[in-house]
Amino acid sequence: MLNVLMLGVGQCGNRILDAINKEAFGGASRLSKYYSRQKFPSRVETIAINTAINDLKELRFTTAKDRLHVPNLHGVGANRNVGKQGFWDNREMIMEEIEKRGDFDVAFVMTSTSGGTGSSFSPLLIHELKERYKNISVIPIAVLPFREEGSIYLQNAAFSLRELMEVDAEGLILADNQYLKRCSGDIATAYDKINTMIAQRTLFLIESLDSEMLSVTDLGDFKTVMSGGLRMGTMGFSQADRKNPSVKSAIQNSLKPGSLLYPANVYDEAARAMVIIQGSREYLDVDEITKEIEKLCAGAGHVFKGLVIKKGYPKVLTLFTLASVPEIETLYAQAARAIHEEKDRKQRAKKQLSDAFAHIEDLEEIY
Amino acid sequence: MRLTYLMVLIVVILTSSQAKDSNNEVTFSDFTLYTGDSVEIASYTIQLVEVQSVRDGIVVIRATKSGGALDEQRALLQNNANSFDGGSENGGLTVTITDIFDDQSAKVRVEYPKDMGIPRKQTAESGSKGPGSQPVLAVEKSFDNDNPSVGSEVKVTVMVKNIGGGLAEDIVVDDQPPLANFVYIAGYPPKIKSQLDPGESDSAIYVIDAVKEGTVKVPPIEVRYSDSKKNTKSNESAPFNVVIAPKSMPDLDIKLNPSGSIPLGQAGRLNVSLYNSGKATAYKVEIKSEIEPSGGLDATDLDKSYFEIDPGAMESYSAELTGRSSGEYTVNLKVSYQDGNDVLLKEGSTTIVVLEREYKYLYYLLILPLLAVSAWLIKRYKEYKY
Repeated sequence: MLNVLMLGVGQCGNRILDAINKEAFGGASRLSKYYSRQKFPSRVETIAINTAINDLKELRFTTAKDRLHVPNLHGVGANRNVGKQGFWDNREMIMEEIEKRGDFDVAFVMTSTSGGTGSSFSPLLIHELKERYKNISVIPIAVLPFREEGSIYLQNAAFSLRELMEVDAEGLILADNQYLKRCSGDIATAYDKINTMIAQRTLFLIESLDSEMLSVTDLGDFKTVMSGGLRMGTMGFSQADRKNPSVKSAIQNSLKPGSLLYPANVYDEAARAMVIIQGSREYLDVDEITKEIEKLCAGAGHVFKGLVIKKGYPKVLTLFTLASVPEIETLYAQAARAIHEEKDRKQRAKKQLSDAFAHIEDLEEIY
Repeated sequence: MRLTYLMVLIVVILTSSQAKDSNNEVTFSDFTLYTGDSVEIASYTIQLVEVQSVRDGIVVIRATKSGGALDEQRALLQNNANSFDGGSENGGLTVTITDIFDDQSAKVRVEYPKDMGIPRKQTAESGSKGPGSQPVLAVEKSFDNDNPSVGSEVKVTVMVKNIGGGLAEDIVVDDQPPLANFVYIAGYPPKIKSQLDPGESDSAIYVIDAVKEGTVKVPPIEVRYSDSKKNTKSNESAPFNVVIAPKSMPDLDIKLNPSGSIPLGQAGRLNVSLYNSGKATAYKVEIKSEIEPSGGLDATDLDKSYFEIDPGAMESYSAELTGRSSGEYTVNLKVSYQDGNDVLLKEGSTTIVVLEREYKYLYYLLILPLLAVSAWLIKRYKEYKY
């Protein structure tokens, strides 16, 4: 059985973690925590970490003992420098809380790249995890911001993403709010839906890695996939239904842009992939699966295939790393422009203020 | 020829029978008599001695026959035929009081054989030697209670009255010796004056106690006396029966009526009732209780006493019982009482069950799940409360 650590850092990470906890209850009702028990596929420890206590209070499905408040007034104000200092000041406290939970095989660190706490804490936290747990595999699940959210968030995303890639993590799973906001009309509903999508995919991934598969994929395969290409990847998911129970359609749908957390053309841009298929035996047509995998192999370098026999219509999770990330490049260009504009804006404001002060430079107060 | 003889024989028999019937033919005559008046027919004399009770229809008649073959005085009930000297059917007389007008006169029917001749009435004044100038003593013996019980007291009254026209002397009352069913207490023998003038009466009372149940024939009391010529005469009262009932006793029925089983540590009630179904009062009624086994059932106010309980009366009370230890207990009540002399005992008992402590498992079955759910909800709330 895998020992899994799931850390939700910052407001975005907290909410994704809360969505995972909710899904572990079955995801049916707001009151399910009162009458049901969480059913994680493996031994899973969840910790929500935040400097803003109000963000922690908003959580509904995460137990109080799994909410770790890092005392730093009320958040870091989207200032990554303040956030980093806050982490260093509370590093031991944070790590002690994690170490109390035991040893882990894999850790998922869920965070937004644009906020204050998550974007500043997560790279440092991953570094500390790698330092203290020698055999742990750490996979950040990084959420990219809406592009119109502001220049600070853009620059935070740019620098945070770079730091996440620089630490010794086993790849990075991307989710793009900008891409996913098409899921719903209003922002709040979109956030909930994105969090739920990430939660379902992550739990499915853990369950699959910890299952006795018909065709085996394991944590090693997962790490191999995540180390491919740019070590940045994303996940696609699809579930067949009674109208169309075909596993072939489910595989194809899981690779379509609409099913992905981050916009990509899998057949052209995937470096390595893992396709995990779960369902009743009668729906899992091996020939169809093999053909679809072969089709994917034509574009991606290598495709791991996992089959989990479980009652129900076929569910397909596709995990892959990318060989090219044009959207990231665009993001960095936008971030750079935003930084320049911010710099110019500050200089102009500073000059204007200096000019204003110049009017009284040789004067003194007279009373 | 034979037929002729047979018919002659039948005619002879019929003729003989008719002749016999005409010889024994009885007829009667009614007379209105006053006290002292008499009716004479053949050698018989029927005299109205006294109208003893107009209400009860009792008239005293004296029947005499010349020569002393008959001298009998009886108290006749109205409309009851009395035969003297074998009755009119047998050559004697049958006398019936058909009407009583007042305490001095009555209508008397005298039935007699027709061949005796015609009866004649003799008034007290007209008679040359009627009883009007002679002393006639009427004697009566009566009980104040004709249906006494064993042990009860009876007063016997003896009354002698001179209903004749002359002085009665040397009067002696001869009462029967004490009866086997009675014992004499006081006043015996009855003392009556030795002389009584005409119309004068005397009485005596003595007291006896009934001692044995049964029907007793009280024999007549005889009074003997003599007239001025020292002719000795006698008279006696009518005999009567007395039924002596068994001795009146109090009889207490005791009933114990518990309110039901008693839960452990709680109290219950025991209702006790005493009903005197006897015919005598129960005195000094004492009720003592005993509980077996002891120690597990406490009783309060179970012992009781009453000064008396009259026949047909009921006394009841309620005692409190407290169960100290579960089990089955027998409550015995011993009732002692007196009927005046003897001490009588009665017992009653009942069983009281003290229940085991009753646990309300059913309520727990309802409450426990609620508590469990509440505890679970509170636990979960605290787990998630931040």
